[in-house]
Amino acid sequence: MTKKTARRNLVTGVASAPYELWAVIFILVPLAFVAYYAFTDNAFRFTTANITRFFTATSSVTGADGAADEVRTYLVITWRSVKLAVISTIVCLLLGYPLAYIISRSSPRAQKTMMTLIMIPMWMNFLIRTYAWMTILQDTGILNNLLGKLHLGRVHIIGTEAAVVIGMVYDYLPYMILPLYSIMAKMDYRLIEAARDLGCAPMGVLRRVILPLSMPGVVNGVTMVLIPSISTFYISQKLGDGMFFLLGDAIEGQYTANNLHFAAAIAFILMVALLAAMAVMRRLTNKYTYGGAAA
Amino acid sequence: MKKASKIFTALMFVFLFAPIAILLLFSFNEARSLSVFSGFSLKWYKELFRDTETLKTVRNTLVLAVCAAGVSTVMGTAAAVGIDRMRSKYLRSAMDMVTNIPMINPDIITGISMMLMFVFASRLFGFANSLSFITLLIAHITFCLPYVILQVLPKLRQMDKSLPEAAMDLGCTPWGAFWKVELPEIMPAIVTGMIMAFTLSLDDFVISYFTTGTGFQTLPIRIYNMTKKTVTPDMYALATLIFFVILALLLLSNLTDSEDSQKLRAARKAKRAASGRPPRDPRKQRILYACGGSLAVVAVAAAVIFAVTETDNKPQVLNVYNWGEYISDGSEGTLDTVKAFEVWYEEEYGRPVQVNYTTFASNEDMYAKLSFDAVSYDVVIPSDYMIARMIEEDMLLPLDFDNIPNYKYIADNFHGLYYDPEDAYSVPYAYGIVGIIYNANEVDEADAGGWDLMWNDKYAGRILQFNNSRDAFGTAMYRAGLDVNTTDRSAWDAALEDLLAQRSVVRSYVQDEVYNMMESGEAAVAAYYAGDYFTMLDAEAENVDLRFYYPEPTNFYIDAMCIPTCCQNKELAEIFINFMLSEEPAIANAEYTWYASPNTLVYENEDYIDEMGEDAMAILYPDWGDFAEKYNAYAYRNLDGELLDYINSLWETLKIN
Amino acid sequence: MDKIIELKNITKSFDGEVVLDNISLDIYDNEFLTLLGPSGCGKTTTLRLIGGFDTPDSGDVLFMGERINDLPPHKRNVNTVFQRYALFPHLNVFENVAFPLRERKTPRDELEQRVNEMLAMVALKGFEHRSVASLSGGQQQRVAIARALVGKPRVLLLDEPLAALDLKLRKDMQQELKNIQKATGITFVFVTHDQEEALSMSDTIVVMSEGRIQQIGSSQDVYNEPKNAFVADFIGESNIVDGVMLRDKVVSFSGHTFECVDGGFGPSEAVDVVVRPEDVDIVAEDAGMLRGVVTSVTFMGVHYEVIVDIGGFKWMIQTTDYVGVDERIGLYIEPDAIHIMKKSEYSGLYGDYASFSNEFDELADAESEAEE
Repeated sequence: MTKKTARRNLVTGVASAPYELWAVIFILVPLAFVAYYAFTDNAFRFTTANITRFFTATSSVTGADGAADEVRTYLVITWRSVKLAVISTIVCLLLGYPLAYIISRSSPRAQKTMMTLIMIPMWMNFLIRTYAWMTILQDTGILNNLLGKLHLGRVHIIGTEAAVVIGMVYDYLPYMILPLYSIMAKMDYRLIEAARDLGCAPMGVLRRVILPLSMPGVVNGVTMVLIPSISTFYISQKLGDGMFFLLGDAIEGQYTANNLHFAAAIAFILMVALLAAMAVMRRLTNKYTYGGAAA
Repeated sequence: MKKASKIFTALMFVFLFAPIAILLLFSFNEARSLSVFSGFSLKWYKELFRDTETLKTVRNTLVLAVCAAGVSTVMGTAAAVGIDRMRSKYLRSAMDMVTNIPMINPDIITGISMMLMFVFASRLFGFANSLSFITLLIAHITFCLPYVILQVLPKLRQMDKSLPEAAMDLGCTPWGAFWKVELPEIMPAIVTGMIMAFTLSLDDFVISYFTTGTGFQTLPIRIYNMTKKTVTPDMYALATLIFFVILALLLLSNLTDSEDSQKLRAARKAKRAASGRPPRDPRKQRILYACGGSLAVVAVAAAVIFAVTETDNKPQVLNVYNWGEYISDGSEGTLDTVKAFEVWYEEEYGRPVQVNYTTFASNEDMYAKLSFDAVSYDVVIPSDYMIARMIEEDMLLPLDFDNIPNYKYIADNFHGLYYDPEDAYSVPYAYGIVGIIYNANEVDEADAGGWDLMWNDKYAGRILQFNNSRDAFGTAMYRAGLDVNTTDRSAWDAALEDLLAQRSVVRSYVQDEVYNMMESGEAAVAAYYAGDYFTMLDAEAENVDLRFYYPEPTNFYIDAMCIPTCCQNKELAEIFINFMLSEEPAIANAEYTWYASPNTLVYENEDYIDEMGEDAMAILYPDWGDFAEKYNAYAYRNLDGELLDYINSLWETLKIN
Repeated sequence: MDKIIELKNITKSFDGEVVLDNISLDIYDNEFLTLLGPSGCGKTTTLRLIGGFDTPDSGDVLFMGERINDLPPHKRNVNTVFQRYALFPHLNVFENVAFPLRERKTPRDELEQRVNEMLAMVALKGFEHRSVASLSGGQQQRVAIARALVGKPRVLLLDEPLAALDLKLRKDMQQELKNIQKATGITFVFVTHDQEEALSMSDTIVVMSEGRIQQIGSSQDVYNEPKNAFVADFIGESNIVDGVMLRDKVVSFSGHTFECVDGGFGPSEAVDVVVRPEDVDIVAEDAGMLRGVVTSVTFMGVHYEVIVDIGGFKWMIQTTDYVGVDERIGLYIEPDAIHIMKKSEYSGLYGDYASFSNEFDELADAESEAEE
């Protein structure tokens, strides 16, 4: 290596060095601590008991028919969390995708205004916003008052899965729209014209041109919604009437019960599962998407 | 098609802004309720501006967000530049991966992982205050960084690489080329990244919850900790104000950025050119802006650090850790007891003192923070069973009662209780008894009385149960006549069976939601604390008629002031405790919280009795005969870790059913 | 004339792939030198070494006799016109051109005067306050040239500056560049893969392939006296056939013995024989030195392009006389139309028009542009 390239690399190294150091100390080392706590007991002796407990702890659950069933507690909790998170993510995608597309096709000024409007709720504390949803959705809430005044009957939403999903969709929808919009805004409109020209019907254009091109945005959006919704604990507490006990609740519960090692074990398992899921998802989309990797 | 998409867009924005509209509306509500609008009033705005503790957390939140956004923007941009120029593919993809970790890790994991590390570091290096503003800042910077990098990096990759080369070719040093050509090119991405970082930091609750420490509380944490009582409407006022400030800022930036003003600027430039003057060097302006911008960030950061350290450097700082909404804070014309202490102390001792008042949401929450040795508080106010546990674990210091002469006003009933038999470690602050609140418009008087009301399937779907294991199990065990402190696991199993049987009639498992739900008639039966019943009465809806009774036996609890071993200034802490026992603050606190006071100066005070009214006095201070005996029999006691773990898993079983 | 830049035994590789293989080149003051070659031949890398954006692995770059291997670009009195111009999008036309002067803290009056001079030279007066994004390709090109010249460099490097322009504009710019070079007296080092452009503009052409210099010479030299099959094929059209040098000035190929003007080969040495298509005359079949069948005729405007099959080898002939497809014709070649080259690694790779089609050439062009 000549002197000059050495120097250039030095400059480069200096630019990212603080971040590299930071990333090691504050991203990697803490994760190592999660693993360390997950595999030790209160006296910091090695054990796999926390991990096995996650997979083996059982509870007896009474089904709708009144028969008691032995189920694996944390697997049930995990399944419930994953289910709600996946539903929320799908709803976010179904709502966010057309909205992002509509926005990306508006005039530049309208685009800016609408994106700003989408960002605004994020600036107001999410606890308060969730709280407000509670008063909208509850049985004597604003929605039901409105329906009552219109003689449309009443709906019981609060405390159902629907309420939790509404809360998650509301809180995380902007995270879906932002990456989708930024991809779509950059998309070449001529491609759509070309596809139409080549005989594609509107649905075909969507399926064969727009969708594949916006795939990186979809992947990012799905990631950004799925991750927080799988681990939320506040939304399920407030909108689920305390009836939905999710992974986030389990971790938080173990933390307040001062059971750090088991909390770490749940966190560790969740983390490993998510990393694996993301790796698979990215590999799949890389394979099927033109242009490959999501930024 | 066009029309359909317009309708869809409109509906989506209605969805996004519905809760904000609600907050906006109810911030002008006269009553405390978030569901019953009783009249227009600006009082919550007045309250907000009087609520110095909340304003302080707003300031903290902003300071934190500015610092986190500033640091992560600078470091993230530099990192993006570095990563972009990395020659080695492997190094680059490794960096990409590491950068992605905080984004694909749930914030709860990020929060826990950082907390574990900080705690470990504090144990290793012996920092008493390892959880503090700095740790919070570190955590925020860490989760903001990827967002900045992921904004800037693609922009750098898109940039025509010959631009910086052209600049160097034309006489710029590599450094100059970066400043004059690359930076203006990637500036939009940097700004976007910074705004995202700021937004995320502002809104973060989970990571802050795990990494926050002594004396520095952010708004989301304060709101979360209000769960002991309820979220006060001045928070809605605050949210409304934030909304309008942001709206104004955005409108302003839209205006300055609009095409018109660009045209205006172009015209101005053209005029300048026409008048024969040479154009100004725009690069100089840019550099000026850049320098100005970074200077501003640095200045703010410096000011903040100065402000933070300045308060820390004051000779007298007292860190108080209490339940949320558990002290008279000056709202609605009450006495701000914390401020009163500061004033009184300076008058008395001629030295200023600053009280850092922070809140927690539960005993366990507080215990977790204290047990990590990562915080330093001077006064904490836990409940009885937690005090017992902390004494057992040597986490409390014995008090020097020479400094607390007002202790003599504590009623005899509160001496020698089980949690502190020698009365060496604690000074009672407030006490309460769990009772049952019901809506008389729905519930037959005949059904009222005893715990069975909570299991009565006549009121299926109208009953609220506690959303924490100890209290929920307590209701079942009192009802079944079991000892709530038994180590016999089969008793707990039996209680679980009762709770499972109750589940089908339970409307919700609640904490602070109980207020809202009882006031609005959303539910009809709930077990909660006597004092809180009066808070609810204040805001009950027209068609709701709340009543209250004590089932027997029931839970008694005492919250008491203690000094933890991490205390930095014990004498000052004792002076504070003594002040809280003096007449004026003690009455103010009792009136504010509606909880019963163990202080004779309070409950024998005529004005206080008048203020509370006969009914309230009868409920708050019932004649129990021998209080100590009942208390010692029915209060929660500290259970050992294994049993708690067992109860916790029973609780999880209940929850997943 | 003085040497202004010398490249001495330069080798450069990226990721283990050799891009420049021991090249040496002298560039003289005031000359218009073109680096010509297909994409990937190393011409752009050579330019970047002179500009200071890359450093050689071994060998030296000398500027007026001084070694400048490690001198960073901003300290070199050499400026570059980049392939896609690299205009600064955040600056207007005036500020783009003023950039190097601002960098040197030129006094305001002088700065303005020089920028205006430059803008006048490239015919962009009145565009001072336009944003560069609003300009056409040709205008952007002119801004880039003005910007590179305003600082009065000793050498101007141009990296395929005309590649993005359409044909007509390209021709105009070629002329204009040539004029500017003459007017300013600055040495131009011009990179292109377009041989016509190279031939029409350059004082010296450096033909490169696979990281090596194949030939250095004037336009006439490289056209008339190509050193090997690669050069012969790359510059203009060539029929390249295997031949045997019987003795000096006598060569045998395609079954016929020809007189020629070259000599200095060993007895019966195998050689490559180049005959330019325009140097072949069509005669009656029996009057021809070679005979063949016409397989295709294309009208090109000035002339016809005729492909003739001679014993399985397809020749290209450019003629103004019309011949029909399938016609049997004879070919007549003057001695001075025959150019003899030593055998090289490129022998046998070029010069047969069996698979010739215009379209292929265009495809190849498009590809090379896309790569760069």
